Amino acid sequence: MFPVLDAVLERARRQGAVDVEVFGERSTSRRIKVFRQEVEQLTAARRRGVGLRVFRDGAVGHAYTSDLSEDALDDLVRRALDNVAVSDTDEYMALPRPRGEPADVRPYDSRLAAATDAERIAVALEVEAAALAADRRVKLVEDTLYADGDGEVFIVSTAGVRRSYRAGQCYAFAYVLAEEGGQVETGYSYGVGRALEDLDPRAVGAEAAGRAARLLGARKCPSMRAPVILDPFVSAAFFGVLSSALTADAVQKGRSLFAGREGERVAGDLLELVDDGTLPDGPDSAPFDGEGVPSARTPLIAGGVLQGFLHDTYTARKAGLASTGNGMRGGYSGLPRVSPSNLVVAGPTTPLDEIVAGVEKGVLVTDAVGIHSGANPVSGEFSVGISGILIEDGEFTTPVREVTLAGDIVGMLTGVRALGDDARWVPAGSIHTPSVVIDGMTVGGT
Amino acid sequence: MDVESFDTALLRTTIGRALRRGGDFAEVFVEDRESLGLRLEDGRIEQTSGGRESGAAVRLLAGERTYYAYSDAVDEAGLTAAADAVAAAVSSGADGVSIVDLGAVFSAPEKHPVLTPPAEVGAADKAALVRAGDEAARSVSGEIVQAVIGYGDTRQRVLIANSLGDLVYDDRTRTRFTAQVVARRGDVIQTGHEAVGGSAGLELVDEEGARGVARTAADKARTMLDSRPAPVGAMPVVLGNGFGGTLFHEACGHGLEADAVAKGASIYAGKMGAVVAAPIVSAYDEGSITNGWGSQAFDDEGVPTQKTLVIEEGRLAGYLYDRLRAREAGAAPTGNGRRQSYRHIPIPRMTTTYIAPGRSTPEEIIAATRRGFYAKSLAGGQVEPASGNFVFGVAEGYLIEDGKITAPLRGATLVGNGIDILMKIDMIAGDFEVKTGICGKDGQGVPVGTGQATLRIAEMTVGGTG
Repeated sequence: MFPVLDAVLERARRQGAVDVEVFGERSTSRRIKVFRQEVEQLTAARRRGVGLRVFRDGAVGHAYTSDLSEDALDDLVRRALDNVAVSDTDEYMALPRPRGEPADVRPYDSRLAAATDAERIAVALEVEAAALAADRRVKLVEDTLYADGDGEVFIVSTAGVRRSYRAGQCYAFAYVLAEEGGQVETGYSYGVGRALEDLDPRAVGAEAAGRAARLLGARKCPSMRAPVILDPFVSAAFFGVLSSALTADAVQKGRSLFAGREGERVAGDLLELVDDGTLPDGPDSAPFDGEGVPSARTPLIAGGVLQGFLHDTYTARKAGLASTGNGMRGGYSGLPRVSPSNLVVAGPTTPLDEIVAGVEKGVLVTDAVGIHSGANPVSGEFSVGISGILIEDGEFTTPVREVTLAGDIVGMLTGVRALGDDARWVPAGSIHTPSVVIDGMTVGGT
Repeated sequence: MDVESFDTALLRTTIGRALRRGGDFAEVFVEDRESLGLRLEDGRIEQTSGGRESGAAVRLLAGERTYYAYSDAVDEAGLTAAADAVAAAVSSGADGVSIVDLGAVFSAPEKHPVLTPPAEVGAADKAALVRAGDEAARSVSGEIVQAVIGYGDTRQRVLIANSLGDLVYDDRTRTRFTAQVVARRGDVIQTGHEAVGGSAGLELVDEEGARGVARTAADKARTMLDSRPAPVGAMPVVLGNGFGGTLFHEACGHGLEADAVAKGASIYAGKMGAVVAAPIVSAYDEGSITNGWGSQAFDDEGVPTQKTLVIEEGRLAGYLYDRLRAREAGAAPTGNGRRQSYRHIPIPRMTTTYIAPGRSTPEEIIAATRRGFYAKSLAGGQVEPASGNFVFGVAEGYLIEDGKITAPLRGATLVGNGIDILMKIDMIAGDFEVKTGICGKDGQGVPVGTGQATLRIAEMTVGGTG
């Protein structure tokens, strides 16, 4: 796409623009849903488009188009110039001038492009079959999904940037309903990889089924203040919400509870939290971000102490720092915004069964609903509905549901006292985390 | 690209090409969308972004199977490639249905009149709206520390042609103005949110209107600074008008969508005519409300939108259908086949869904509640359609003591089950109001209205931190 991007750059220059950045994207993707061992939906997609940012005296104007005809490119430049005229100025807003070479990561496996639709369908069918076979109480697999995307990203700018990379990803997902005695419980699981060969369809189906079935018979439990174990899916959901407060954007705009707390203890002293866009197996790894800035490894919490925040070019200039390569774009029509690449929760681990054996009374949380609506990333307070398994005298006893888990984010982080040995990638948000043990949580039941 | 003058011969050829190896329904969806968005934060308009996206999708149905292909290239090559992709996916190899001429042309430009088309108003005037909002929010109190003011407009022109011979043109303009305000006192930080939106132009909001929206959001945030942690436990819950309707949308509405019903993944499956709510409850989905945010003349399958009775005096009366699920069930489509864009398969979606107003007044309802929780405004929530279990965050909540609204409460969530709470509704007021939102399902966001009058649920679990 470099010729189209160059043409846009040239047109913008002819209209008097000096600082110009053009972002291009083209991709193909597949999405397959199966239901009762039949293909229910198959979607084949091609997309491409161009986004243009024009910077002038600290203001920025953005425009995008999917139409790459001559007239449409003229229209694109006109819109960006109109928009820069309306935006307010800010001394820190300027064209990115990335330093350093792109990170040495190749998020692409050519086997993905060689896959046929028949092979993709076979993956989805196997996921569903495994879920149905895993437990006789599985009533149905409501959603079984295989999806992949194969795309290229291009950036050119008047700062001399001229970069591109190709990325591919595929995943499988199952959402299972199990039923017994009129009670329905649900469970889900994912697998993620760069090619079909990386996926283990049977494991995805069986795990989703197991997670639903183990909640059958669940009921409310008494209210208590007790340790809880968040399993990797639930932990990932919490860290996903928390990560927005670790962006410099939130800090600079007064929306983060972590503002001004660098160097302070904010979590249990064994907790490490790192953003790393360079991991070979990271689902969201890439050589550079949506502004052409090389991806990096950025420690956020180390030994329980807050290390710093994620930056794009703008927030870094404002803070007098360098961008951490976290100016992420959702696509050609979106502006870069500060967000994590791959988040990794790490630290010394303990075998999960040892952890459970040491809990006198507590809850293993396997599902939480309302994290995105029930957790306030500004104040850090949250109250969410959870399902899971009660732990009594070091053993799993009865499943629980319709209970709430409440607290505040900092209190929860400080309460982290152990990490399980079951770390894995959770593709929603691209987070690698083990089970996390937290002391002194408020569980609201009967 | 101009949707109105799109080559109908190419549409007909594409439909035929899609059907050549099998299938019983084919459709071409062509879209041209222009958008503009402004976002003010920290007192600055920091983002002004706009653009034009066009694309085309070909959909093929074969029994209960759906094959879908789309391309950002709206030309003969793009449509041919899409038609070939869906045809290649059909395994039957049998000839598809023969297609009829594209004879019946439908459009309804007068349904949602646009008085001031956004394209005819300069970006500077739109910028003035968000600046007025920022100024109004900050003038509410010195404790207002942040305001995020947003303005957005879109004009989406679509063309839908199918093998039934329908050719539908729809021209949809939507405008929305939003305010999210943060108030701070010491370590306590609270937020307030308000929005207006409609299938309308700039007549929807002028500078005074913008100030009003921003002030409402600022008042919410400031009020919540005085809040104390909400109690935990079961108690009567009074849901406020407008935003309170989100609860019905999430906890019940999604279970009425015919895809969840057909899969047996809804608590409402197989319950037509059965009692699913208290007798004072009737509810509708109405995609045809004039200028409504969730309204359009036709759905994204070219079916005219309508008012659908879903609960009649406590009994289940209707589901929300797209074409596919209506065919399966032998029912008529209800104008609920919606898609976010040409990149998305149409599925059954709500438009504006609401519990019909009742005969009480909000004052009577509060006065009749000795001790309870008043959820004036909800923050959104999640629901499992299979069980109907839900959790909702409360954005603005108060304690009710001795029939009076007293202390503001923070950090509350409402936990319950969809059928259970509908059965427990025991009072409904007449102060009906509709609020605007974006509803997400299967990775697709579509504009929806949620509404209701003030109502009371006799008992519900409140999860708080106090």
